[in-house]
Amino acid sequence: MSQPITLEDVLSKNETELLAQLSEKELARLYWKFRGLAKTLERDTAFWNSTNENLKVAYETLDEKERELAAAYHIIRDDLEVAQSVQNALLPRMFATMASELELGVYHKQLTEVGGDYFDYFRTASDRYAIGVFDISGHGVSSALVMAYLKAQFMTIMERLENPAEIVEWVNRASYEFLREVRKYATVNFVTFEESTLHYVCGGGYGLLLGADGQEHIFEKKNHFLGLRQKPYLEEQLPFVVGDLLVLYTDGMVEAQNLEGKDYSVARLNDVVWRHRTLPTEEIVRLCVEDYHSFRTQDSDDITLLIARKTA
Amino acid sequence: MNEQNAPPDQMLVHGSLMVGFAQACVNLNIVAGRDATNFIKGLQINDWYPLAQWERLQELVVRSYGNVDPIMVKVGIAMMTGWYHYGPGKEVVRRGASFLHYQTGSGGFASVVRGPERVVGSFELELFDKSRGKAIVHSTTPFNRKMECGVLIGGMLAPGDIDYVDVRNDEDSDHLVVEFH
Repeated sequence: MSQPITLEDVLSKNETELLAQLSEKELARLYWKFRGLAKTLERDTAFWNSTNENLKVAYETLDEKERELAAAYHIIRDDLEVAQSVQNALLPRMFATMASELELGVYHKQLTEVGGDYFDYFRTASDRYAIGVFDISGHGVSSALVMAYLKAQFMTIMERLENPAEIVEWVNRASYEFLREVRKYATVNFVTFEESTLHYVCGGGYGLLLGADGQEHIFEKKNHFLGLRQKPYLEEQLPFVVGDLLVLYTDGMVEAQNLEGKDYSVARLNDVVWRHRTLPTEEIVRLCVEDYHSFRTQDSDDITLLIARKTA
Repeated sequence: MNEQNAPPDQMLVHGSLMVGFAQACVNLNIVAGRDATNFIKGLQINDWYPLAQWERLQELVVRSYGNVDPIMVKVGIAMMTGWYHYGPGKEVVRRGASFLHYQTGSGGFASVVRGPERVVGSFELELFDKSRGKAIVHSTTPFNRKMECGVLIGGMLAPGDIDYVDVRNDEDSDHLVVEFH
């Protein structure tokens, strides 16, 4: 006598004609199994509907946040554009004594709208002049604010002190607590000019003097950054006569890398300057920037390159 | 917090319940899943935790959904599916219907909560009629009722011998009406 057909037999054999042989009990089981599946489907549908509704709300929220973000971004952009004009307005213009003795070429580019590279021209107490090139740590708005602060410090002291080491030391002392508080520091390359000599204080950054006679002098970094220590600064003196070329720059160009991860380097920049040293300073700067652009993949820092030739 | 440190009138929830809940959320990919995983970091599965900590975990799910009821049902089912197939469930429950007795007895709800009765409440089987496929559980616990519906559904379906289970509490939120066949 054969075993009665069960629901499991029908399902496992996948033979629908066996359905007719199911007992009433097995048919009832089939009924409840179907109801069970329908109930599971109902619960799953409710679950997914709720999840979909949640996703819809999430998308709407995301959309709203995106609009808010876009609005906030526009406000920030507008503010940055204003900040950029303010920072550009803080950049120096040559005054008469300087213009009569120096031929200048400058390339200055902040990585973002505003930045922490800073160069300036100062009138000294004895109506001579000075040039400063600074690189404030970090980028962006905070560094730009520190730049404005340092400019104010230099403007305050330039009318009272003459000696470059004393000037830088005074600025460092006056700024020290502030810079510590905002966790910033700045490289300093500060040069004062007399009739036929220059005095420099170098605490970071790069300086190169190419004499008209072919002599080359690289600035010695004997000093500390502004805001790092409170101790005296040392200055050096060099002859600076007609035809001599002074090159001051921050690390923005020389530390930029190419696709192989190689630095543009001080050696390469100095070599470009050397090869074109007889050209007008603006042309030398243009060629330096052209060579730099051909090398690096992208800018990674603020950039300042300043080239001055003694003309009188 | 362990039970020795708990105030005497405080309800405590077993770590296994909290981990089971969070794991179910993760398995279902519901919004709170990642948050829940972070939340249970550091929890010990055999330790006891204040009810407030459980409520914070549950709130992660509740606050994310406009209609949370179907979600909580599904979470309850997933908790019991995990408990049965990956936990000790198979050892203690052999048939779907017996899960009702287990869950309302000393090994179920009572084993994962501690504290004064007025706070803990109870989870009792008021009616069990196997021939009609009907049972009623009276719940006064502080847990989400829809999750409890899901726990009963998941626990009864897990052994695989029951073809149909539905649990509703529409008419009286504290009475979970079970239909099974």
